[in-house]
Amino acid sequence: MKVFAGAALTLLLPLILQGQRPEARAQSHYSYAVASSRAPHAPAARSGLPAAALNEVVKTYCTRCHNSEQKRGNLSLEGFDAAAAPRMADVAEKMVAKLRSGMMPPPGQRRPKGDTLSTLTIALESQLDSAAAAHPNPGGRTFQRLNRAEYKRAVRELFGLEIDVDAYLPQDTQSENFDNIADVQALSPTLLDAYLRAASDVVWLAIGNPKATASSATYSIPRTASQMETVEGAPFGTRGGLSVVHTFPADGAYVFRVVFFHETTGAFAGTNARGEQMEISIDGERVALLGVDRFMHAGDPNGASMLTDPIRITAGPHRVSAVFVPPALQAVAQDLIAPLKWSLNSTSTAAAYGFSLLPHLRDLVITGPDNPTGVSDTPIRRRVFTCQPKAASEARPCAEKILTRFGSAAFRRPLTASDVQGLMSLYDGAAKGDMPNAFEAGVRTSLQAILASPDFVFRFEPSPASVKAGESYRLSDIAMASRLSFFLWSAPPDHELMSLASAGKLSDPAVLQRQVRRMMEDPRAEALATRFAAQWLRLQDLDKVQPDVRQYPDFDEQLRVAMRKETEFFFQNLVRENRSVMELWSADYTFINERLATHYGIPNVSGTGFRRYAYTDPQRRGLLAHASILTLTSHAMRTSAVERGKWVMEVFLHSPPPPPPPGVPDLEATPAANEGKLLTVRERMEQHRKNPTCNSCHRMMDPIGLALENYDVTGRWRVRDNGRPVDARSELWDGTPVASPADLREALLKRRESLLRTFTRNLMAYALGRRVEYFDMPTVRAIVRNAATDNDRFGAYIMGVVNSPAFRMQRQEVADGDK
Amino acid sequence: MVITGKHLPRRTFLQNMGALIALPYLEAMIPARSVWRRAPKDPTRLICIEMVHGAAGCSPFGATQNFWSPATTGAAFDLSPTALAPLESWRKHLTIISNTDVRMAEAYKPEEIGGDHFRSSAVFLTQSHPMQTESSDIYVGRSLDQMYAQRYGQNTPIPSMQLCIEPVDRAGGCAYGYSCAYTDTISWSSPTEPLPMIRDPRVAFDQLFGAGGTPEERASRTKTTGSILDYITGRVADLKRELSAADRRRMDQYLDNIREIERRIQQVEARNTSGEERELPNAPAGVPDSFEDHMKLMFDLQVLAFESDMTRVFSLKCGRDASARVYPESGVTTGFHPASHHGNNPKRVTEFYQINKYHISLLPYLMNRLQQAKEGDSNLLEKTMVIYGSPMADGNVHNHRRCPLIVLGGANGKMAGNVHLKAPEGTPMANAMLGLMHRLGLEDLENFGDSTGEFLF
Repeated sequence: MKVFAGAALTLLLPLILQGQRPEARAQSHYSYAVASSRAPHAPAARSGLPAAALNEVVKTYCTRCHNSEQKRGNLSLEGFDAAAAPRMADVAEKMVAKLRSGMMPPPGQRRPKGDTLSTLTIALESQLDSAAAAHPNPGGRTFQRLNRAEYKRAVRELFGLEIDVDAYLPQDTQSENFDNIADVQALSPTLLDAYLRAASDVVWLAIGNPKATASSATYSIPRTASQMETVEGAPFGTRGGLSVVHTFPADGAYVFRVVFFHETTGAFAGTNARGEQMEISIDGERVALLGVDRFMHAGDPNGASMLTDPIRITAGPHRVSAVFVPPALQAVAQDLIAPLKWSLNSTSTAAAYGFSLLPHLRDLVITGPDNPTGVSDTPIRRRVFTCQPKAASEARPCAEKILTRFGSAAFRRPLTASDVQGLMSLYDGAAKGDMPNAFEAGVRTSLQAILASPDFVFRFEPSPASVKAGESYRLSDIAMASRLSFFLWSAPPDHELMSLASAGKLSDPAVLQRQVRRMMEDPRAEALATRFAAQWLRLQDLDKVQPDVRQYPDFDEQLRVAMRKETEFFFQNLVRENRSVMELWSADYTFINERLATHYGIPNVSGTGFRRYAYTDPQRRGLLAHASILTLTSHAMRTSAVERGKWVMEVFLHSPPPPPPPGVPDLEATPAANEGKLLTVRERMEQHRKNPTCNSCHRMMDPIGLALENYDVTGRWRVRDNGRPVDARSELWDGTPVASPADLREALLKRRESLLRTFTRNLMAYALGRRVEYFDMPTVRAIVRNAATDNDRFGAYIMGVVNSPAFRMQRQEVADGDK
Repeated sequence: MVITGKHLPRRTFLQNMGALIALPYLEAMIPARSVWRRAPKDPTRLICIEMVHGAAGCSPFGATQNFWSPATTGAAFDLSPTALAPLESWRKHLTIISNTDVRMAEAYKPEEIGGDHFRSSAVFLTQSHPMQTESSDIYVGRSLDQMYAQRYGQNTPIPSMQLCIEPVDRAGGCAYGYSCAYTDTISWSSPTEPLPMIRDPRVAFDQLFGAGGTPEERASRTKTTGSILDYITGRVADLKRELSAADRRRMDQYLDNIREIERRIQQVEARNTSGEERELPNAPAGVPDSFEDHMKLMFDLQVLAFESDMTRVFSLKCGRDASARVYPESGVTTGFHPASHHGNNPKRVTEFYQINKYHISLLPYLMNRLQQAKEGDSNLLEKTMVIYGSPMADGNVHNHRRCPLIVLGGANGKMAGNVHLKAPEGTPMANAMLGLMHRLGLEDLENFGDSTGEFLF
């Protein structure tokens, strides 16, 4: 029997949810049948089973394992009444998820014939959906605090200042994939301290410190980075090094120390290269040119490093580049080994005979200021000091103007009279002494207070006084503006959004829709790709994998970054062009630059810029063809069908396999060779799977990953593994035979509902700042259903989330004392 | 070269310390509030110092010359031929534990042979064998300093601090298939969590005493912080009126945090007003060029932090394995690593011995600073345990038998001093460390690393 078509389902269920036939809700198990007769595209004769028959199905096929004795998966279905699913909604939602993905009953177990299971699924869903429509629960959470990413973006919006936020705020705790989940954002003295410190440093950095004492800042280049080409931001024709925007605290003299990589035993790495020079430039203008000393040694008093003379630089942000200027003729004539993409893959042999390794920069240390002479006008200061008092009498009104504007932007709401009063009394306390200094000291103290204030670091959503515990209320337009902007931008609302909210116009559906469209097209919507998608897809794990240098000597930092960018650009494009979310799995295009094109074996792509590329062969489609995902699910020395399978189950299907039982030897413990013959990963895994305890889960995970065996550790296409032909054949959990990534893709696309619901629940968790619970699932289904009528466009999902009660409303928690 | 002169206000930097400490911040530290209140009375301060490459006295020729440990055991030992000679005037605070082995740093598998330099540092304070890997699955053991800090460091603002002298390498493989994490740190908060070491004294200074280059600037920042805390407290009162019950509870917790920060500021200020006028000096600008200046600056920081009770546990890594650094003040121009491969040639062993002796000659500076730091009737030298040693013995052949290990300081009366103890052949250094940990108050610890029992003394 053919799997019930998902598209038809999405058409018939809204009718139930909209409550067009309220009487149908009472006769829950018939409701879908009634509705289906009204839906134009629904299968004509979908026979509804009576409650007794559904319960019989559960009893026959589920309770053999899910009974109160065995409790497999920590679940007992004894006493579950399929006709009263809403009474056990949490259990019913678990069943729906497993049934939709086809993972239950598990492979090898008996399954009912025909469409019995989909009938059961639909019956459960329709009951749950109608119950939720009658008694919506928007859920609730405590207030969120600004995490690292949001703090960094907020400072950028307020000052136009880029900060290294990791130096200030502790690492964010992740829950259900995301770093913005309110109830794990614990408060502590350390955290408060961190915010206080950040407020002080950010304000000093932003407006400058004429009395700054010398300190040093170090910028480092990872050893895995190639330094053979011009880096972004550096003058053309230069090689390697680094280019950063550094904020100088005062006008004064600064020295630059460049530290080079050296051999493990100390010799400067690059001894064989003659005539190399290092150029230091500020905003593209050369300020120093150092001839690289070939005979430096880590054992020298200053190590393998060189120092510039003091250079006078004005306060504020400047682009600093420290890069190599190659000599006119730096020929690599004939090396003992071919140059690899990862140009510093070994520091052990860097100065050995026959290796023409070029010098590599390791650190740039900026020290200063010496003899600071003041603080020049900077773009950041112009932004803060929108007025300058010319007389003492003008100081206070000017400060009030600055602080009111700045405070409102930072607090993301109009200021009250008492807000202004509070800030001005801080100003008065600090604005003592001579005029220009007093004014600046006063403003600085108040700015610091604004950044340290709970109004800035926490995102409060005031609740009306009349609301009682357990009741729900609608959020104000002001609160909505912040929810929207942190959802779409990870940043505070801009002026346009704030003015609409202040005028109470954001509740107008047409205005709201226009704003969402505008925000999706705004460059700040990059956050949806670099934060939402990156965390959902676990792109941060890419940093934890270092493919073995002997097998993958071309894997360098540039490639790692390019891999991540491919996925981010792809997602960003989906958002900006409001494309179908199904393209996540089916897109026949991607975004690549030269480095990545070389990696994939795609010709005729040059330069570091990314561009859209339409695949010319059917091997690659959608996210599962991205090197980022294929690499982050691999081990250093080999691919891992288990990791890849597990990733697909968790990230795409929301069906995490249980952790392995204790004491099970891992794959590394199975022999890598048999009678002197190297085994493929597949062969080793089959040995491993002979253990029955392991097999129950591995037969779910492994076949998914095996279908991807044609991609190596770094996502490159391969036809051989350990010298033997790749065998990607296997049978998925639901019996579908697969032999290639294309087959796997087809099989996944048939699980459309599971894919889209998983995507939506992740989007919702990220948007709401709380975990998605079972009572949210009817909303998730409704969003998917409604989006289907708009070709699954990304915007439809965003609007679905934004319009959901969960996003617009908040349920008042029952406080401990009130229980 | 102009600015580097700025490092040398060390002279002003090291004068009597203590004052005007702003708010420290350390990521690893999220103490529950209650922990702060349970302050054990005056626990021993701990400094663990690692020197790499072993010692000349551990080579066959060097042993005959007593280049590391003295010829006789007990109290009447003669330090003059040894590299420890600079400690002669401090012998009352010196315990030499000779003849212990660090066998966990030896090769276990054929592919580990030769990788001693890239494995040893991870073994020193863990006495565990590191798993050979260049990827993220690093594993060794919890280090002695961290075991102590996790028990006794929780009631200071910073439970422990890690410092180093030489630049550490980058993530990824270092050599011989070992992750750089093993080479770069001696402190492990768990077998999988290496703690990064701070090389820049300014960074350490800021973490300990807050941002601000001069005492005046720090004072003014502390004052600002005080008025901002008042402002925040006022805001919390207003906000609570608009919030739900659950959010109000969270704001109460936040209010507790404010009180805690205020308490810390008051504590520091109370310290300042009691006793003589004390001021923190100017913060150092960055990493000094000279090894000696750098070491002394790091010692200053440690004494300063003990005095102001910002932390009670330090680890300090003085060198990087396979480093060829030249120490001109030692009178030897051969690099450290080349000198360690002396081939047991008497002339070259003697050269290496001079480098060892130079390193030891920096310790009296620390001893002196600790002794000058009076606390009641006592001083910090009496309250501190300094462990100094190397996980390698004869650097020439990369062996780990009969490694250097000395202990300095009174450790709150637990270390009598003026003694040379020679362990029986084959005693693991872990046995000696277990004994030290028992004296530090970790009495319930039954074993450590590859210990086979406690080395009693």
